[in-house]
Amino acid sequence: MDHKAIFDLLAERIGAGAIAFHEDPIEPWAEIAVGRIAEACLFLRDDPRLAFDQLMCLSGLDWDGYDENGKGKSVAILGYQDDGTPEPGDRTATGDLGVAYHLYSHSLRHKFTLRVRMPRDRNVVPTVSGVWPTASWHEREAWDLVGIRFGGHPDLRRMLLEEDWVGHPLRKDYVMPGSWSGVPLQGQPFSENPFAPAAPAPAGGDTPAEG
Amino acid sequence: MSRDSTTPPEGYDVSRETMLDFKVDQQLLEVVETDARNFILTTVDEVFNWARLSSIWPVTFGLACCAIEMMATSATRYDIDRFGAGAFRATPRQADLMIVSGTVTAKMAKRLKLIYDQMPEPKWVIAMGSCAIGGGPYFKYGYHVVKGVDFMVPVDVYVPGCPPRPEVLLEGLMRLQDKIRGRKGRFVAPKWVQDYAKKIPYRK
Repeated sequence: MDHKAIFDLLAERIGAGAIAFHEDPIEPWAEIAVGRIAEACLFLRDDPRLAFDQLMCLSGLDWDGYDENGKGKSVAILGYQDDGTPEPGDRTATGDLGVAYHLYSHSLRHKFTLRVRMPRDRNVVPTVSGVWPTASWHEREAWDLVGIRFGGHPDLRRMLLEEDWVGHPLRKDYVMPGSWSGVPLQGQPFSENPFAPAAPAPAGGDTPAEG
Repeated sequence: MSRDSTTPPEGYDVSRETMLDFKVDQQLLEVVETDARNFILTTVDEVFNWARLSSIWPVTFGLACCAIEMMATSATRYDIDRFGAGAFRATPRQADLMIVSGTVTAKMAKRLKLIYDQMPEPKWVIAMGSCAIGGGPYFKYGYHVVKGVDFMVPVDVYVPGCPPRPEVLLEGLMRLQDKIRGRKGRFVAPKWVQDYAKKIPYRK
């Protein structure tokens, strides 16, 4: 089915919850109100005209540095300096967070993309793990790396990092860790390279200078 | 200005040189005369080193894409078994060598240290690939990568590459064998010590 037709069906169902439809040439996507996403997903799965039986991917997004149209300059994220220490930074990101849902229907063989977007300080999205069970792990990953909370998730723990990790690494204001739980994570300055070329022998030692 | 070779240059303390040489000669003579056991120990050590370098058993420990090259090294075309290092052990307790083949993440670093501690002495470590040597492409933004496995365990041989081809890993293994073989080097007397030894009556 055509993407616009899918969006029209969705808008007919959830009304103002379907905020906008973006006809991007590569991947058309619909922006959904945060509070209506679970309802929209349930409709997309159960309606026989749509029959989206698979959630291909669920991704957390950090829109910091972009305007509401998804345009703008990317902000400089922090890394490690040349001497191996983490780049210092106290910038607090202000942009929105978001979640993208990529859906696929095996029976009808069409795809669709949903996105929700919410302010950084109200980063709670209703879970869709009741609609597609595979969303459970994806949502845990989005919580782990981007720090998006999923309301109603049965087991929202970190997915990839350990439980005592501080912060969410894929946020754009994340400061790199110097160490974690006794494991050093910062590098080594080149000057401390143990394999640096040896200094030349001092003149005037065993071999007196010719003169 | 030409200088007679028998005349020391200005400021050169000849007396100090003589004194030093005298001390060294005395010490060497003492070693050679009183510690003749060294020559027996040398032979035993050589045998042990030969046995160790001829059957280095690596622990089965693949971390990332370098592990694919490590597997290719142990397969038929390159055949690491020719060097006696083909018995990849499933437990560190039977292994001599840990080939750190790939990216060492923060989580894996703890496990890696545990595996290394479980290996019996003597044990060796090869850091294979850019990531294990110094973080590689994850140096700048790798929040989860240890910037070199030598932050966690001592490394004997660094094998560069991204990933290194099997030939390079074999080269690194041969350098490790040289290193093990080289342990006998400190027990082989230089020629001038052997000349001293010939002057000792009981060695004739």
